[in-house]
Amino acid sequence: MADMLSTGVSGLLASQIGLSTVSHNVANVNTDGYSRQVVSFGARLPEGQAGYYVGTGVNTVAVQRAYSEFLNSSLWSASSGQGRASTMASLTSQLNNQLAGSSNLQTSLDSFYGAVQDMANAPSDAASRQVLLARAGGLATTFRALSGQFSQLSGQIQQQVRDTVDAINVDTQSIAKLNEKIRSFSSTDGMPPADLLDQRDALVKKLAGEVGISVVPQNDNTISVFAGNGQALVTGTEAHALGTAPNVYDATRVEVVGAGGGNVISGRIGGGALGALLDFRSNVLDPAQIQLGRAAQALASAFNAQHAQGVDLHGDVGGQFFAAAGPSVQGASTNTGSGTVSASITDIGALPAKEYVLSFDGTAWSMRDTSGNPVALAGSGTSADPFTAAGLSLVVGGGASAGDSFRVQPSRDAAASFAVSIDQPDKIAAAAPFVVAAGAGNTGTATARASIADGSDPALFNASSIVFSSPTTYSIDGGPAQTFTPGQPIVHNGWSMQLDGAPQAGDSFGIKPNSNAQGDNANALMLGKVADLGVLDGGVTSTGRAYSQLVGQVGSAGALAKDELTTQTAVYNQALGAQQSVSGVNLDEEAANLVRYQQAYQASAQVISTANSIFNALLGAVRS
Amino acid sequence: MRVSTSWIQQQSVGSMMNRQSDLSDLNTQLSTGKRINQPSDDPVGAARALDMSHLIADAAQYQRNITSANARLGLEEQTLANSGNVLQRVRTLLLQAANGSQTDGSRSDIAAELSQLRGQLLGQANSTDGQGEYIFAGNRTGTQPFVSGDSVSYLGDDGQRMVAAGPGLQVATGDAGSAVFMDIPTGNGTFAVSAAAANTGSMVAGASSVADPLANPSAWDGGAYSIVFTAADAYEVRDAGGAVLDSGSYDPAKGGSVTFRGAQVAFSGTPDAGDTFALGASGKQDVFTTLDNIIKTLRTPNGGDAAMQNALNTQFANLDQALDSITRTRGMIGARMNALDQQGALNDDLTLQYKTSLSDVQDLNYYDAISQLGAQTTALQAAQQTFTKIQGSKLFDYLR
Repeated sequence: MADMLSTGVSGLLASQIGLSTVSHNVANVNTDGYSRQVVSFGARLPEGQAGYYVGTGVNTVAVQRAYSEFLNSSLWSASSGQGRASTMASLTSQLNNQLAGSSNLQTSLDSFYGAVQDMANAPSDAASRQVLLARAGGLATTFRALSGQFSQLSGQIQQQVRDTVDAINVDTQSIAKLNEKIRSFSSTDGMPPADLLDQRDALVKKLAGEVGISVVPQNDNTISVFAGNGQALVTGTEAHALGTAPNVYDATRVEVVGAGGGNVISGRIGGGALGALLDFRSNVLDPAQIQLGRAAQALASAFNAQHAQGVDLHGDVGGQFFAAAGPSVQGASTNTGSGTVSASITDIGALPAKEYVLSFDGTAWSMRDTSGNPVALAGSGTSADPFTAAGLSLVVGGGASAGDSFRVQPSRDAAASFAVSIDQPDKIAAAAPFVVAAGAGNTGTATARASIADGSDPALFNASSIVFSSPTTYSIDGGPAQTFTPGQPIVHNGWSMQLDGAPQAGDSFGIKPNSNAQGDNANALMLGKVADLGVLDGGVTSTGRAYSQLVGQVGSAGALAKDELTTQTAVYNQALGAQQSVSGVNLDEEAANLVRYQQAYQASAQVISTANSIFNALLGAVRS
Repeated sequence: MRVSTSWIQQQSVGSMMNRQSDLSDLNTQLSTGKRINQPSDDPVGAARALDMSHLIADAAQYQRNITSANARLGLEEQTLANSGNVLQRVRTLLLQAANGSQTDGSRSDIAAELSQLRGQLLGQANSTDGQGEYIFAGNRTGTQPFVSGDSVSYLGDDGQRMVAAGPGLQVATGDAGSAVFMDIPTGNGTFAVSAAAANTGSMVAGASSVADPLANPSAWDGGAYSIVFTAADAYEVRDAGGAVLDSGSYDPAKGGSVTFRGAQVAFSGTPDAGDTFALGASGKQDVFTTLDNIIKTLRTPNGGDAAMQNALNTQFANLDQALDSITRTRGMIGARMNALDQQGALNDDLTLQYKTSLSDVQDLNYYDAISQLGAQTTALQAAQQTFTKIQGSKLFDYLR
């Protein structure tokens, strides 16, 4: 007869394992990354009797984690997307908060131009001029404050990139160590402990949130982990640490490099928080800084140009009103030659919101924008014939070696350095520089107006008179006869006179300085018009418009990031729900299992007790 | 499908968090009254709101400009009204002085008053505004424009200050003193008549006019002519070269007028043969010179003769031109103030429109937001109740 006692004991043991597993599951109900464990039982081989078999009890075959490789890798990729989206959302929201805050450039612009108009209404009033200077100062402060906030955010990103790279390195180290443990268990016991695998999976999920990865399982139960671009992070038991290195053009800017100080991989990291940080930096923050710089340059260039068309209370030509930095050029730290590059803006209307790299191949210079598109260079690069492209003029000094390169940032520093150059209210050029009068006996239809062509001409304010001896011939101050081409200005002594209409022989025009004209507001009115003057993008975008474009850009990035976060969170939740539906612990289920194993245990105990009674009965029968 | 316990909990907590975040957004919207609190709330709307605020600020500035322009024009108008009154008084006195019953003494008294009036007028012309700027100095507002010496010289310029009253609309807020007081045409504005100093008869040239300039606009050619009385009852019109262009008869008893080339001059009194009256294109004479000439004429002793009458008549025409200049300037001021008022009304309309657009873009729809607040609150309560219900029913609870 089969051994009832041993069968009972096998049931007892199996139920104990079942109960232990249930307890383990219940205990780990809130452990992150824990996969519920399931016991599988198998019937022992039966004892063969004559013609039939008698069962001999139960064997515990395995305690396994409930696990789906597919669902887990979906979760990792969702975690990558979610990590990226949440970092992006938090960064863009920070930037949006900055723009929504008190330092609204449009308000500053409006109050500045309001002060210009108030000054135009009372040009000789010292108070209105003082207010204008104060408003100009406020405007400059707003530019610098916004730029400062952007830089601060940029600095914060540098720190976050370093911290994230450190965190990634710690996690890849841990994964490599777990790989080692799992491999050693696998070689001795065949099956690695479920809890170690869970630990590793949790780390992989965390790593995926930090950087986009792909995971390749190996035969020895270890896994290899690669960053999105194929950069190995973990191979077997070895971890490959990522590093940070300063940008070749800008030592204050951190780039991510591959293991062992390898190549810069900043541009090739896709997902995770690190991907979001790098993406935000180059696709949201950099363009915002450039756009703000462009707005500053547009304002300075347009306002200064108009200001130089007027004269101040002393009768001097208006000086520089605003100062904004021009392009900055940085040589790569890897340059071996002694070449230099200097850049200046020649045409702000043709200046795109881009940055460039100028490189020398040993014989010729070439330029690409930072997205890698080639930009055609005209000219030869000498100071007499500079390279011109995209509104820039570039002069290269000799001595560059093949492979040397320079980064040109046309507008990056403009907002940070934006300042008011004028500190005396009487230096504001509100008046027109000249009084132009047509001769009393003129018979032609021509009317004349004059502007300053060269404010530094020493004879600028000499009075002159132009007499036409025929409709196409004139002389200035009795000088030689010159040919007049209708539509072309007459340029002399640094001024340029434009005639509208046709002059006749004998017509004369006098030009003299607008002296003592402290009540003249002609140039102030023109300065007021600069507010809506198109400067950028071929003369269609005003400063204010450039700012609202910036707000639109940043707002779009923010809205996109919010939507992306919502989507990615949904994807992540779905992936997590699906994974949890397989691997998660359900307490009701465990309660039922507890009852099940408890009852099985009690039943097995009853079997043993029955076996005992039977045995006792047999003994009793023998004894009596 | 099986669901893990911690997942149920996470989801419940997650949905409560979402509801609370929605409520917090609604709270911000309701407390600011704005739909857009960050550019990312509506990027296009945020950029548009900036453009709209810029337009509103612009319109408000235009209104400020108009207010300041109106103040300037009002002051100018008041000053010119005073100047007009002075000149009216001068005119009245001049009419009195021309009366034949005046004596040298009474004319001298009138001249004394006129001299006072001249001072008053000079004061008006040198008026300053509240900021100490000379109103009639053109752009040289810091320089006293009218300086009295032997005659009055003008130190201002011809500049005219403009104000930006609206997009593309600039309105002058002043007139240069040169145009108002200095460059005043003489005679009737087209030509002036003057009696030769050597005239001996009692003939006086009266009103002159250009006959129907519309019907024959080229008739008066602006040349210099003279009307020479060859006898007490006959005249000749001669050009600058002395050629006789026209001749006619004159009745000394009735008086009459001489008409040629569209010019008409009325005469009275009896000429002596050889008396000559010159006609020339109008020149320019400032109002102060006109007053000075009147005063000088009135102070000439043994006056009351035809020479004085002729001199006074000439200046009388000049005085009327001065009055006309002031009236015309006041008319232009009125037109400018009208234009400013219209632009002001337009700016108000535009502001209202911009504000409506801005409100459409960025302001919160309270009805919407409040009903959403109700819905979200209910949703949060539902999530909370669901959580407690689900958390409260565990199989373990029944295993005691």
